[in-house]
Amino acid sequence: MDALPATGAGAASPTAADARRAGWRAWLLLTPVVGWLVLFVVVPTAVLFVYSLCERDELGRVVFTFSLESYGRVFDTVYVRIFARSIGYAAFTTVACLIIGFPVAYVIGRATEAWRQRLLLLVMVPFWTSFLIRTYAWITILKQEGLLNGLLQLVSLSAQPFDLLYTPFAVSIGLIYAYLPFMILPIYGSVEKIDGSVIEAAHDLGAGPWRVFSAVILPLSMPGIAAGTLLVFVPAIAMFAITDLLGGARVPLIGNVIQNQFLQARDWPFGAALGMVFMALFVVTYWLLLRFGREEEVA
Amino acid sequence: MPSSTPSTSFFSGGLRLRDGILRGWTAAVLVFLYVPIVVLVVYSFNASRLNVRWTGFTLGWYREVWSNAPLLRAAQNSLIIALLTTVISVILGTTGAWLLFRYRFRGGRAIRTLAAVPMVMPEILMGISLLVFFASVGMPLGFTTVVIGHVTFSFPFVWLAVQARLQGLDPALEEAALDLGATPWRAFCYVILPGLRPAIVAGGLMAFTLSWDELIVTFFTASAASATLPIRIFGMAKVGLNPMLNALSVLFVLATTAAVIFSAHLRKISR
Amino acid sequence: MHLRTCVIVPLLALVTALPARAAEELNLFGWSEYVPQTVLDGFTKATGIKVNFETYSSNEELLSKLVAGAGNYDVIQPSDYAAEVMIRQKLLAPIEPAKLPHLKNLDADMLRRPHDPEGRFTVPYMSGTVGIVVNTEKVKTPVKAYRDVFAPRFKDRLVVLNDSRELVTWALYTQGAPINTINAAALAKARPVIADWVKLVKVFDSDSPKTALLNGDVDVGIVWSGEAAILWNTDKKFAYTIPAEGAHQFIDVLAIPASAKHKDAAHKLIDYILQPEVSKLISDAFPYTNPNREARKLLSAEALANPASYPPPGAKLETFRDIGRAAADIDRLVTDLKSAR
Repeated sequence: MDALPATGAGAASPTAADARRAGWRAWLLLTPVVGWLVLFVVVPTAVLFVYSLCERDELGRVVFTFSLESYGRVFDTVYVRIFARSIGYAAFTTVACLIIGFPVAYVIGRATEAWRQRLLLLVMVPFWTSFLIRTYAWITILKQEGLLNGLLQLVSLSAQPFDLLYTPFAVSIGLIYAYLPFMILPIYGSVEKIDGSVIEAAHDLGAGPWRVFSAVILPLSMPGIAAGTLLVFVPAIAMFAITDLLGGARVPLIGNVIQNQFLQARDWPFGAALGMVFMALFVVTYWLLLRFGREEEVA
Repeated sequence: MPSSTPSTSFFSGGLRLRDGILRGWTAAVLVFLYVPIVVLVVYSFNASRLNVRWTGFTLGWYREVWSNAPLLRAAQNSLIIALLTTVISVILGTTGAWLLFRYRFRGGRAIRTLAAVPMVMPEILMGISLLVFFASVGMPLGFTTVVIGHVTFSFPFVWLAVQARLQGLDPALEEAALDLGATPWRAFCYVILPGLRPAIVAGGLMAFTLSWDELIVTFFTASAASATLPIRIFGMAKVGLNPMLNALSVLFVLATTAAVIFSAHLRKISR
Repeated sequence: MHLRTCVIVPLLALVTALPARAAEELNLFGWSEYVPQTVLDGFTKATGIKVNFETYSSNEELLSKLVAGAGNYDVIQPSDYAAEVMIRQKLLAPIEPAKLPHLKNLDADMLRRPHDPEGRFTVPYMSGTVGIVVNTEKVKTPVKAYRDVFAPRFKDRLVVLNDSRELVTWALYTQGAPINTINAAALAKARPVIADWVKLVKVFDSDSPKTALLNGDVDVGIVWSGEAAILWNTDKKFAYTIPAEGAHQFIDVLAIPASAKHKDAAHKLIDYILQPEVSKLISDAFPYTNPNREARKLLSAEALANPASYPPPGAKLETFRDIGRAAADIDRLVTDLKSAR
């Protein structure tokens, strides 16, 4: 956990002390950013907040009568359990992507300039085919009469086909596949910055590979790891398309539940309330991390 | 800057064995990333429409892609929207990350938190709330509204990538430039920006990828004329994804790869 | 950077590709993959009216976009129960029969159904059912009813629609309860049945349930008849049956929103689709049940023999009525049972 506080303001550590008070010019430059945030993040969120406090009509749309009913339902054990499960999936995805992706990001970051470009592109190109088409390709590979089973039977590991599709195994593959680049790219950004001579110096001073990794490389790539963790973990909580397609949609996740309120159950206020609680949890955590990071740095 | 480190080998330094293992690992991960891509390339030549079994070789799907005007139109829309989204996200994300890093703003922490909110907002909520917002201000749905939606969920990715890179960026460099009489703007352009390039490229790639493949926010913010490829593809799943879509993906991957190789080649010549 | 070329080329392509504005336009908001492009092209050729075709993939998507008032649509394609709410909410404009000379081609059986008892607002487009598909190569014993499907021997060999209302409907049918009366008592009674059922299912999929059957990952399914028809066309081993207890029939209709700006053009499109030759094209592409009597005469013997498109008469079929707020109770029940696995 001590990686996360480094993400935000604390992030600014080396220069935070030097950071100058913003003058009018800095404010002017920041205006488009703030304007965008207010118009397209704050206003829609406010709309949702109002919706979450309303009642619904037969179409599921909101009727502007004040009600806290939706929030009462959010803390029903059914939904709390689903939320916990979603966090579990996201945590698994994050850890798996970090373990698998870090060496790749490191190799790309330490490669020569020409190779860096090529490798980066090689990592991204698969993701420029549609998610659905990619996922169906995985189905072709994992299905009972599919390519992987065919291969396994060819080398006669088993006479019976394995159940691969619609299992936790298939879901894991799908999750790692979908989020891996969002871990690799920010770590690459950090690793690329590490001065090669620092690593060499550590070697020259007699540090073994593990020591070099834990004492030099890892701390220096922490900002990238923190960013990657955030970029994978946070979007993965609301994810459900992969578990639906590769897992058979047998267990609902929080993303399914929220989507269903709009596309099946016709209960906009409840959908909005679920979303508000979900976002509020995130905002509080993130804000505390930023604050905590700063205090630690002051101390 | 880091890229100038001269190196004779693939790596700038390190032990041979460790490098071998790392390279092997990277190769394995790349194989993992390309397994489904190879499958979809192979199946784009499959004669069977439902694409379940191999029934024979054909180039027919490529011909069909070429004559399918709505599909090509959707691909064109997706490309334009993704490129615009990338450009705007990079500008917003980079300025935001840089300014909040360099200067102290009142409420800076709130702005930073706010910028991360779109990442956690489920697509359906963002889609519906933007739809309600656009309808209430009387903004007709179209390219603009789709791009607005896409930028909103994409730029936090650029922001965080750039922010991670900024940490530990040597402040002395900028100070030196300022001491030598550079304006803050010039110092930013000539000292900071080149140092941020890897993060900007990484963030831009993420923004492009997210926009290119987004379905739900797009549905609620698009009109008939601005429908994107994912909308058409998800619709087609109902009657069975036919190999035409594989063919289209293959063409797109080939086109981007060719464009990149071509531009790299141009750079080499012009050098 | 190569980015510059990447931006300029497609932008140029866009500018040059922008078509000249047609004299008249029409905005069609329909299901994706339900209206063949050839039909729309034919319509433009015949009338000179350009069709802007926008798609959705569920009735709720249609409803939310329509009520937000963001788009302007001239023809929409809701399912029966969604049309029922729209009529009640005064969102639809009445159809003018005088402008639809081909209306007489429709099968009388498909008209004046409960969702639009006087037939004033909707024109049937296609219809279908939800029934059982069996891979007869793997399953030799007859599977004729919901009870046969949800049997322990098919554990992990089942695909069913990922739709809470469908699931509840099937349970109500096995109990002989009315499917359009959804209240706490009915749901409490259905609950244990569904709880047992969800444990047996391998895949829940509403978008493409045929995939799991085609791939051999499951042997039995409860799916849309259109999906079953495609399966049957691919391989005759996939047999379709209407469940003995009764089944959901859906009628997708054409309608004109009250806010439509081109009502004349909308009527022209609806009438064009009612022509037998045009309607046949739709059946060829999407093998649902065609409500157009004259078009059916043009269909091939094989198309008419498809048991999923044209099931033998005599089955108990019912359309869904709008259940309004009870939809949320159904969703909660099914979510609860699924997450208890």
